[in-house]
Amino acid sequence: MLKILLPTLMLVPTIWVTPAKWLWPTTLAHSFLIALTSFSWLKNFSETGWMSLNKYMATDALSTPLLVLTCWLLPLMILASQNHTSAEPINRQRMYITLLTSLQFFLILAFSATEIIMFYVMFEATLIPTLIIITRWGNQTERLNAGTYFLFYTLAGSLPLLVALLLLQNNTGTLSLLTIQFSDPILLSTYADKIWWAGCLIAFLVKMPLYGVHLWLPKAHVEAPIAGSMILAAVLLKLGGYGMLRMMTVLEPLTKELSYPFIILALWGIIMTGSICLRQTDLKSLIAYSSVSHMGLVAGGILIQTPWGFTGALILMIAHGLTSSALFCLANTNYERTHSRTMILARGMQMVLPLMTTWWFIASLANLALPPLPNLMGELMIITSLFNWSWWTIALTGTGTLITAGYSLYMFLMTQRGPIPLHITAIEPSHSREHLLIFLHLLPLLLLILKPELIWGWTF
Amino acid sequence: MVNFVALAREHWVNILVPMGFVIGWYLDKQQDQKLTAFRNKSVLYSRELKPGEEVTWK
Amino acid sequence: MNPLILTILLFALGLGTTITFMSSHWLFAWMGLEINTLAIIPLMTQHHHPRSTEAGTKYFLAQATAAAMLLFASVTNAWLTGQWDILQMSHPLPTTMITLALALKIGLAPLHSWLPEVLQGLDLTTGLILSTWQKLAPFALLLQINPTNPTVLIMLGITSTLVGGWGGLNQTQLRKILAYSSIAHLGWMALILPFYPSLTLLALLTYLIMTLSTFLVFKLNKATNINTLAISWSKTPIITTLTPLLLLSLGGLPPLTGFMPKWFILQELTKQNLPLLATFTALTALLSLYFYLRLSYSMTLTMFPNNLMGTTPWRFFTQSTSLPLALSISMAIALLPLAPAMMALLTP
Repeated sequence: MLKILLPTLMLVPTIWVTPAKWLWPTTLAHSFLIALTSFSWLKNFSETGWMSLNKYMATDALSTPLLVLTCWLLPLMILASQNHTSAEPINRQRMYITLLTSLQFFLILAFSATEIIMFYVMFEATLIPTLIIITRWGNQTERLNAGTYFLFYTLAGSLPLLVALLLLQNNTGTLSLLTIQFSDPILLSTYADKIWWAGCLIAFLVKMPLYGVHLWLPKAHVEAPIAGSMILAAVLLKLGGYGMLRMMTVLEPLTKELSYPFIILALWGIIMTGSICLRQTDLKSLIAYSSVSHMGLVAGGILIQTPWGFTGALILMIAHGLTSSALFCLANTNYERTHSRTMILARGMQMVLPLMTTWWFIASLANLALPPLPNLMGELMIITSLFNWSWWTIALTGTGTLITAGYSLYMFLMTQRGPIPLHITAIEPSHSREHLLIFLHLLPLLLLILKPELIWGWTF
Repeated sequence: MVNFVALAREHWVNILVPMGFVIGWYLDKQQDQKLTAFRNKSVLYSRELKPGEEVTWK
Repeated sequence: MNPLILTILLFALGLGTTITFMSSHWLFAWMGLEINTLAIIPLMTQHHHPRSTEAGTKYFLAQATAAAMLLFASVTNAWLTGQWDILQMSHPLPTTMITLALALKIGLAPLHSWLPEVLQGLDLTTGLILSTWQKLAPFALLLQINPTNPTVLIMLGITSTLVGGWGGLNQTQLRKILAYSSIAHLGWMALILPFYPSLTLLALLTYLIMTLSTFLVFKLNKATNINTLAISWSKTPIITTLTPLLLLSLGGLPPLTGFMPKWFILQELTKQNLPLLATFTALTALLSLYFYLRLSYSMTLTMFPNNLMGTTPWRFFTQSTSLPLALSISMAIALLPLAPAMMALLTP
């Protein structure tokens, strides 16, 4: 555990004392080394399911994929940010990388915490660097609004969670994830217990985000700089899913009845946000709404509480993390060239950036869950388990899949195909940096086809 | 002739992250040994080690 | 001001609080509070300015009322129970009266409305004394009397967190914002007082540290309104970077120091089986967080060339010593991991 955490901490002095011309190569190389080291977590041979145990942290089959994803994202964020921060003074560049590193530090602590309060504190701690990234390095005035939405939506959900967790501690005497499922079942019958149930879950559902409390997400995505969008889509949303997966064991008897409205909202949200994507003109907003739609599926899979649902949710979280992050990077390559997120201004890109079109193609296909990508595996498992739970859900999930395919196709055709408009004939060619960036997103996604049990979670 | 002093001055920062790794790896190892001692004392988890099996928790 | 007179006044300021700390007799406690009040009023009005005169007058009226009420309550107590001992308060009537008098003294809502007005009329140093040192003596008394009925303090606390958050929302003057922030923090302290007085002490201590560093930052920048903050990056870039963390710590965001008292207070409230009260109080903290966030926006997160509302001043090397600021700001940001040590220190 510490062999990843301490190098992450040491990255901060490295960022500040490295000579200016070596700043980006050094940080990239070191963060990439840390990411490679983090693969050692994937080898799980423990008898208890818990690995790399120490007093405060441990990894298990559920948290490992998310931890590795977190570590993998830092070099990619550094790669992606190099161009748009190049005009800033060197100290601000250093500050920016420091923020990204601190985010990785907090996320590792959040995913590997063995105490729920520790998880909560770190869950909240990620808010501050993200807020600063969005509101300090965003491009437009609306970013302040987006930052406020982001902070207050999350906090309004998670302050009741804190009280709910403290109540849970009063009842069971422990909040340790290692032992909490072995503690005596708590008697949950009163009206207050139902509110407690909601308090435990709403913070995570806001973070996911569930349809209905999702308004902060498109705003934050649209206004954030590329690294902010990447980490938000790839890892921060998954904090919500991870927290729900952890809490589900404690909430046992109540979820069966109380989760109906939330499942309905999640499934209805797939269709609604998918339809919003179909009429979107803003590229980043489209990808953000597609995140909400996918996360609706994840929320549904977790709320019905079957092993297949849990596994599908974890697979979809990882696959969607890589896919949506790749899509944001691709959107950013367009943005850095046309300085606009509007899709209609950057169409027909196949003519000018043909290799980029390949990446767009693969990423779009991953987004619409083409077999045999892990995206399909996750969606299929969730849809199957939902179908097994109630036949009617197929109407919603099936339509949702269709709409997902529709808007992914719309996004691809709109940006890549067709004649090229005159105003973008003289754009900058794509850099190897950008190709490497997208390739490093898609490579794990493609390799996971060969060994998907790495991200199957508890089921494996 | 490579100027080692200049190289060292320019690139000494690259030692920080590996240093963090080594310290972290050492502390992890200490922790593992501590927990292994605990496991071998517990009734539930103590067992005969297979030939060649490492005595560690992990 | 003449240095000799200043020394005497500061000495009297310290003496008043010390007398209150040491006394076990209500008359002495009252005397200490009065010495304290009378010593700070010349400090408040040292700049001959209508606002500072107004502030001095308002402060005098509010404090005199509170002190008179305190004296009246202790006399009533002596009349009813026959003794003047602070620790032996048994009758509910004088206890409640004293609680209300002290609430007026520190500015707990609904007895708070003098505080923003007074603080706005002071310079930042005197404002710092008013919002830190002047809270100590009343809190020493509040911690010693044993409230028989927690409802009064709970109501005062809840109203304060709400009013403190609400009132600060439409302020542009930093001192008024800090006054409302003070009201909100005092609300948390009053809320937990009947259940776990050590937590009141912890909340007071963290509040003092955070307010101290906020005032020092503003003093260094000579900033009294939000617009002046917007150009602080040209004077003190590193402090400008750290101030959002400080402000969010005041707002109580984990993993900063300000989360520690809030966390423990919420924990104690849930242990007392008051989860609804805990949730409500936690959510009122969001109101305060909004204006801290707005301060951080205008100070750091919208830097040049995005914010053109202020003109950049000439830069001089600052002469003031920055060691206290460095110490207090690092404590105000990074004390949360030391929470167990802090609790061990403050629990008797």
